[in-house]
Amino acid sequence: MNVELTDLTRRFGRTTAVSGVTLEAGPGVFGLLGPNGAGKTSLLRMMATVIPPTSGRLRLLGRDPGSYAPRREVRRKLGYLPQSLGYYPGFTVADFVEYFALLKDMPPGRVPAAVAAAIEQVGLGDRARAKLRTLSGGMLRRAGIAQAIVNDPDLLLLDEPTAGLDPEQRVAFRGLLREFGQRATVIVSTHLVEDVGAACTEVALMEQGRIVFHGTPAELTARGEGSGAAGDAPLERGYSAVLAAARSVPAARA
Amino acid sequence: MTAATSAPVRHQPPHASRSVPLTAARLLRLELRRNPMPWILPLIAAAFWFDSYRPSTTQPPIWVLRTFWNMGQGHTIIDFGPFVAGVAAWAGSRDVRRGIADLVTVTARSRWAAQLASWAATAIWAVGGYLVFVAVMFGVYAHQGVQGSPPWWWVAVGAAAVTAFCAAGFAVGALFPSRFAAPLAAFGAFLVMAMSSRTGFSHTSGWALILPTNSNGNYQPPSGIFYPYLPDLPIARVMFLAGIAVAALGLIGLPAGAGGPWLRRTAAVVTLAGVVAAGTGVGLAGTARLGPHGMVIPALHDAASDRPIRYTPVCGQSAGVAVCLNPAYRQFLPDVTAALRPVLGEVAGLPGGPVRATQVAGAYSSGEGEVGAPMTISGRPPVLRMPLGSLNLPGAFGGSTAQFAQQLKLLSVHAFTGAGAGPGTPAQQAVQAALLQGAGVPFSAQNGVLSAVGLPSWASATLQPPASGHGAGPAEEDGPGPATGPVHAAARRLAALPPSARHAWLAAHLGALRSGQLTLAQLP
Repeated sequence: MNVELTDLTRRFGRTTAVSGVTLEAGPGVFGLLGPNGAGKTSLLRMMATVIPPTSGRLRLLGRDPGSYAPRREVRRKLGYLPQSLGYYPGFTVADFVEYFALLKDMPPGRVPAAVAAAIEQVGLGDRARAKLRTLSGGMLRRAGIAQAIVNDPDLLLLDEPTAGLDPEQRVAFRGLLREFGQRATVIVSTHLVEDVGAACTEVALMEQGRIVFHGTPAELTARGEGSGAAGDAPLERGYSAVLAAARSVPAARA
Repeated sequence: MTAATSAPVRHQPPHASRSVPLTAARLLRLELRRNPMPWILPLIAAAFWFDSYRPSTTQPPIWVLRTFWNMGQGHTIIDFGPFVAGVAAWAGSRDVRRGIADLVTVTARSRWAAQLASWAATAIWAVGGYLVFVAVMFGVYAHQGVQGSPPWWWVAVGAAAVTAFCAAGFAVGALFPSRFAAPLAAFGAFLVMAMSSRTGFSHTSGWALILPTNSNGNYQPPSGIFYPYLPDLPIARVMFLAGIAVAALGLIGLPAGAGGPWLRRTAAVVTLAGVVAAGTGVGLAGTARLGPHGMVIPALHDAASDRPIRYTPVCGQSAGVAVCLNPAYRQFLPDVTAALRPVLGEVAGLPGGPVRATQVAGAYSSGEGEVGAPMTISGRPPVLRMPLGSLNLPGAFGGSTAQFAQQLKLLSVHAFTGAGAGPGTPAQQAVQAALLQGAGVPFSAQNGVLSAVGLPSWASATLQPPASGHGAGPAEEDGPGPATGPVHAAARRLAALPPSARHAWLAAHLGALRSGQLTLAQLP
């Protein structure tokens, strides 16, 4: 398993962002769904080794990232796109991606080709020399995805990757996700249900820091059948039904 | 919960450690291309031009004088310091300001390594800019025919100071990241410079000598002309500034997110090493004492630095007496010969009168407030020894050729009377005044000459009213004005004699005059 989470909890002061999450994931595209504030980003940041868990066990790529040396090994094979992507405005797209390729400890000889390939994969080949400050929001997002995939990661963590992308780019991006899912574990945090339906082999739904559903997109769709939950698409009906059920059982949250 | 599929973890080939320098070089190249420092260099260039270069051009074309302001008093550092600290803080706070700290943190390379690459690029631009500006300034000086030799050690101090400001500013930005880090660092650097200058003016010895803009003891007029610039104090300052830089860079590696335990321990050692180096520099500066040719730190002093620089003097004639100067002072030879001509005309041929006038290096004592060094007549045959470096040369600090000539006449006449390092006896003062009158410095102007800045302390002592019956000054009060009193009356009588009679009287009484046995009443 590339990702093994056991009873993982993260608190920020008195607020519990993630509460007792247990999850395993191997290669494939894993969708993490949930409303705003459900704890998706905190869970992703723990998996990205940005923040340590308050309690519980976390193993990534067969290693415990709690210690420095294994954490460094994990990071070498990690791709991460945060929810709000910062950037250096004076860097070009190629500079930006090369910068992270070097920080990810890629062999320097492989960096130029890997940078060019990553930029091509996100469709920014013709803007490789453009300064980041000149790019649109969607293009910046794609530059962020390029830096995440430049090291051909074994574990790719994407937080709202399709935010700001136009429909054509989203379709292309889902294809990219499926391609990566063939050989790596891709975890996509999103609240866009259609992305999950189109690209994910597995899906988990979070509510108030807990996993309230885990299964395939088809299973999530099935949860919505016959329910009176609102939502146009079948997957969205399933999403709403699961959330409604979770919210109607306060004891489950206690 | 289990994923749909399960597959073994792929392993990439282990990272070759030999690629680390190459990766660092590529990171540095990236940072150099996108560094903010080049944008501020034109502003620093303007400050450098107006504050460091332009004021220096009012000085005579001698390296030690031209660079006294910008290198000796550290104005080049003042011009760079605040800007460099501010930009470095801006670069240091970049990751947090740009919201990219998470991304940098989750890379395999330590955050410290990434920050050091960013700092190195900033420092290379800043120090490179400093060296280029100084090189251009020195090139212009060389083109203008400036004499002597450049103060390379002080250039090294400036480069170390720029590096230290860069590191300190970067550390402020990295440890306290916000948009205010840059202006705060710049203002802090400005305050440090201001306090350093202020402390430097009032502390001529002790720990304060370590401050890079402390002008005390940095430069001596013979430096680079008669003797090499002493490297003792510059070495201590470089040690101090490099220590600050190293400690600041080490501090960046101490926070938990900077890297692994081994790396953080290394950062702690680096920080400690920097503090020790800086402390050692301060300690060494505390042992500094002003030697004959500059600041000497016993633990660092190399006797080879005391060896005089060999040179072939340039000579001229003045009233039949050879006047020889160091070639660095070649352009002043006509002024010196012209100024000495009337004095030497009065005393030439007298027993004990100089047969040659030669420039010597000034020797400096450690007494506070001591300026200059006495002009003497000594040796057999007698030679007038002139420490010209202690005088305000024409063009130096607003000095004119006329003032220079008057001071030269005063000092040479004072030496002739045998008054030594003091104001002399009333008789010696009277003869001095009479000879000055004969040499073209009227009585009414002599108080002004005596009160000029840069003369040995006996000159101002001559102006004081007599303390008791023995010494009667030529004036009742300080400052220029008509001279009165018994000394001046005697001087007027001697000056009124025909030159041949005055010459004959001096020939007969010179020995007694110089030994201090002659009284005012014995003057003609």
